[in-house]
Amino acid sequence: MVALMEMLDVITEFMDTGGQVLTVIAAVIFIMWLMIFERFVFVFYSYKAVKKHLLASWDARKDQTSWYSEHIRTALISRGATKLNRNLVLIQSLVVLCPLLGLLGTVTGMIEVFDVMAISGSGNARSMASGVSRATIPTMAGMVGSLSGVFTVTWLRRHAQKETELLADGMTVNH
Amino acid sequence: MTTSILSLPTLNKLGGAVKQVFTTAAVSFTLLAGAAHAEQAANLDQLLKQLEQGKVAQSAQNKAREAEFKAKVNQQQGMLNDIRAQRDSALKLSAQLEQNFEENEITLANKGDALDKRLGELKELFGVLQQVSGDTRSKFQTSVISAQIPGRGEFLDQFAQSMGSSSKLASIEEIERLWFELQREMTQSGKVVKFNRDVVMANGESKPAEVIRVGGFNLIANGQYLEYIDETGTVAELIRQPSTRYLNSVDALINSQGETTAFAVDPTGGSILSLLVQAPDTRERIDQGGPVGYIILGIGLVGLLIALERLISLMIIGRKVNRQLASDTASDDNPLGRVMQVKDKHPDLDTETLELKLSESILRELPKLSSKLGLIKIISVVAPLIGLLGTVTGMITTFQAITLFGTGDPKLMAGGISQALVTTVLGLVVAIPMVFIFAYLNGRSKNIINILQQESTGIIAERSEREEQAASQGA
Repeated sequence: MVALMEMLDVITEFMDTGGQVLTVIAAVIFIMWLMIFERFVFVFYSYKAVKKHLLASWDARKDQTSWYSEHIRTALISRGATKLNRNLVLIQSLVVLCPLLGLLGTVTGMIEVFDVMAISGSGNARSMASGVSRATIPTMAGMVGSLSGVFTVTWLRRHAQKETELLADGMTVNH
Repeated sequence: MTTSILSLPTLNKLGGAVKQVFTTAAVSFTLLAGAAHAEQAANLDQLLKQLEQGKVAQSAQNKAREAEFKAKVNQQQGMLNDIRAQRDSALKLSAQLEQNFEENEITLANKGDALDKRLGELKELFGVLQQVSGDTRSKFQTSVISAQIPGRGEFLDQFAQSMGSSSKLASIEEIERLWFELQREMTQSGKVVKFNRDVVMANGESKPAEVIRVGGFNLIANGQYLEYIDETGTVAELIRQPSTRYLNSVDALINSQGETTAFAVDPTGGSILSLLVQAPDTRERIDQGGPVGYIILGIGLVGLLIALERLISLMIIGRKVNRQLASDTASDDNPLGRVMQVKDKHPDLDTETLELKLSESILRELPKLSSKLGLIKIISVVAPLIGLLGTVTGMITTFQAITLFGTGDPKLMAGGISQALVTTVLGLVVAIPMVFIFAYLNGRSKNIINILQQESTGIIAERSEREEQAASQGA
């Protein structure tokens, strides 16, 4: 319990050193990973049932060659693809957002540094340190968040593409 | 010839007459001159006598004068002698005094040396006392403990002055008083104390309040941090308080009943907190951005309103499309329904024409779904660009300041730089949500368009197949 409290204290301390922007970045990263986990859960568990249902509804068709069936097949594949691609754009935009927020933190931190200069009228490095840490920590956090997201999003995108193709392959057309 | 032969007696007579005239003239002259002394002379002889007498009288008078003068000469000589004697005695006195002075000076120097020798280490002690009391005085000026115990500084001021003049010796009482003050500061800085005193509120009103002093670090009252102003000896509420996390620790300390609570202290004894007052708040920050900042904010507001309108309409359309997906009858209040109605309107078209009709109707629906989204995208791109513009204008201002005043004062430069940075911040602040909102709205509209493009044909195919089956079964 005490160790947990201490950890919480360390985290609050870190968030304070990084300033308000770091809190926003933390929230964005949290939401991003929440969505990524939702995707993982869907891809590894829920999608199996969806795929089974779609394939079964195609296989159940007697007629697989007519103009109607071709369009129904497209619709079925598109239904699967929509489910696979859901939220991926949003996650991608969150990934892009992280470095932008980091840049915002950099600029606000620099403002603080210049504020210190304006108030104290000197280039005292020690008094500028808090502003500098507010400028650098969000940049770092933004980079880390963005990098952590970039790989997973790329994987999810490619996986969605591959699964869509597999779905299309699964629905064989008998000419 | 007759005139030249004049007789002698005649001549004599004539001469007598002339003489008479002369004499009369002389007498009358004399009369005029000696009117003071002589009486009217009856004749010449008398006049002569008178003259003689006058002469005698005059010389007597002169003699008397002479005598008088001679007597006075003696007297003056006497006076001169007196003055000389006085001068001599004064010179003598001066010489003696000069000698005395020199002697005294030597004695003084000797005595001073002796004093120094005898004072010895004691003198060093007085120097230390002076220094310590001066240091302590300046320490007390910034110490928040002075808010609780006023009037400590006066004694230290006097003590330091009397030590500095070195004509007075420090009494044991004074030295002990200094010791006491130092010890008291030390003891008090280890205590958390409650006491009552007047506090100047943020609105300038002075009110009595229960003040809590935390060691030599902070003063708090009414859940707020206070500052101690030594010049006026007052305790004032800080106009700008630190963040809520620290204020919560203040409340915790005020409400604590003797148990241990966490409290955020200012280790500099209040100077960090007092610098907070100088830091500008959000409103002042935005004002620093200048006109460029306001333009960015205006654009951001426009973008936000557009996004809100789009969000609501896309949500309504999305709900209607979902309802349409579930139902069989096509209604014309949603894009999917309108596309599906194409089949109902032209029941006997061949498949290829139907496909063309469908894609035409889908194309008609597209602008309504993706309208204004491009505007949001543009705003998300333009806002940082305008921020960059503000940055450049801010830097121009800075360099103008440098050209005018030189680089000597960083404060002048800092003003322009903060203007440059604030516009960048505002640009990012507008752009970041816009990027997010665009991604979200674009996703939603793409979703609906996807349904229209790929599913509409599928749904129509399903429906017509079912109808055909029903017809064939019926037949």
